[in-house]
Amino acid sequence: MISELNPQPLPPRSLERVRIYVDADVSYDLKRMNKVVANVLGKLGCGGCHSGRILEFLDMREFMVNPKTLDVEGRMGAQF
Amino acid sequence: MRPLGVGLVFWPELAPLLDDTDLVGVIEIEPQGFWEKLPCGSGACYRPNGGLLRNIAQYPQPKLLHGVGQPVGGVTCDPVDATPSLRGAVDILRPVWVSEHLSFNRTYRDAAVTEAGFLLPPRQSTAGVFAAADNIVRYASMTGSPVAFETGVNYLQPRADELDDGAWFARVAEQARCGILLDLHNLWCNQRNGRERVRDVLARMPLDRVWEVHLAGGMALGGYWLDAHSDAVAPELLELAAEVVPKLPNLGAIVFEILPQHLPRIGIDGVGRQLEQLAKLWALRAPHYAVTSPATHPHPAYLATTDAHRELGRNLRELAEWENTLAAAIRGDAVNSSCFADLAQDAGIAVYRQLIGDARRSNLTRALRYTILLLLAMLGSDETETILDRYFMTTAPDAYAALEAEGFARFLRDQSALLAGVPHLAEVLAFEHALLRASLYAEPAELAWSSDPTEIFAALDAGRLPRGLPVVRTTMRIAAQ
Repeated sequence: MISELNPQPLPPRSLERVRIYVDADVSYDLKRMNKVVANVLGKLGCGGCHSGRILEFLDMREFMVNPKTLDVEGRMGAQF
Repeated sequence: MRPLGVGLVFWPELAPLLDDTDLVGVIEIEPQGFWEKLPCGSGACYRPNGGLLRNIAQYPQPKLLHGVGQPVGGVTCDPVDATPSLRGAVDILRPVWVSEHLSFNRTYRDAAVTEAGFLLPPRQSTAGVFAAADNIVRYASMTGSPVAFETGVNYLQPRADELDDGAWFARVAEQARCGILLDLHNLWCNQRNGRERVRDVLARMPLDRVWEVHLAGGMALGGYWLDAHSDAVAPELLELAAEVVPKLPNLGAIVFEILPQHLPRIGIDGVGRQLEQLAKLWALRAPHYAVTSPATHPHPAYLATTDAHRELGRNLRELAEWENTLAAAIRGDAVNSSCFADLAQDAGIAVYRQLIGDARRSNLTRALRYTILLLLAMLGSDETETILDRYFMTTAPDAYAALEAEGFARFLRDQSALLAGVPHLAEVLAFEHALLRASLYAEPAELAWSSDPTEIFAALDAGRLPRGLPVVRTTMRIAAQ
């Protein structure tokens, strides 16, 4: 199986695309894989170039760890 | 200045609003948000997402370019030549004017340029005026466009040995003969945090030089009000804006700023309602002042005088000392300054330290999302933050997420005990690092997985540790074509 993925949720640059090749006997969830790649490569620009405050790590931390019980848990509908 | 109307700072998440040209009259673009930074030869270069810029250019509204990476308030220039990328953005978008921050974000440390990780307040002195004016003229030359500087947020307390904020903005504008981007939320933050009252600042400023107004919402942190671009504009600030707008004879645009990360707080409909509020402010302009001919745009016409350069040369060292001292105080380094040792005692230092840390952690969360999720899921937030802090102590920040992530990935690769103790961490890290390197450098990679990676990612997306997954040994090749 060959999975060809365009990692950019933004319009692509006039540059190469990232392609992923995996063993033929493994059936990956290509839709999920595509989302993962887009998540990772979607925002590589100057994330801190402004005078604002970005809280993505704090949001993710709250999502992963219940601050009261310190239990690791998912939260329905969590977005980050 | 040519009146353009009401608009917003472009983010892809706000695109649904942009087809409504009655609601959005002008689009402002922060180009560095859509650049990548990567090694080129012996140095580095910026690589813009030209496809995105060309898409934005197709919107019928006029454009403004708002720089956020080459601020004009400091004495340490960007060691990476931004001119080709800025000129490219100008050629594609044809902005009516461009703007940058009257701040600094780099210093010299051990004879090398080091990123500060945030837009920091410059030394407000006469020498600072000349330095800023020189930078603004250079910026106009780089972009081939009329330039306005943004009135910045400043979390430090006012100093007896500096120009007050109104005089500082006024003198820079007059010296550079440029426009002013009046960020009312910044000035409101400054007032709330102990600096001058907004009305006093405005009373000192040449309001005929204001081409643009920025409005935004903020949030509180440790007793400070932050210019966080995180919410709707506060009613009190809207009232203040209604008082100010009629006094701006050359106002060309009112722009609402919100970061996409904070969009869920007010929603896309909430942004629409903000634009409607801004339209009411726009209607308050004094119509008899309006200048409609593009040919009458002011353009920086600063002519460096011998006196100005002599003054600047005398005090360049003092400006550099200010910048180095402030950056060192924020890092927590020992401050060895005869003039500015007291900076370390300013409570605003802790605010900058927090904001820089937030920005670095968020950049890593973006570019190494599953690695960070896995650390949080296995170790919890305190231990993960400790690891991040150890990395921050060893490596200077880079505002570009990809380079920051590259640095952290290399740091983690050397933590053998950590890699051995967290299930799948080595695999997830290798995967995300390979994606980064393929995207940035077109570098191929071959990765070995012990389980189906989509199962690992699904577990992390659900907030679960990827434990007990079936063993499925596979090889994944990543290539850039």
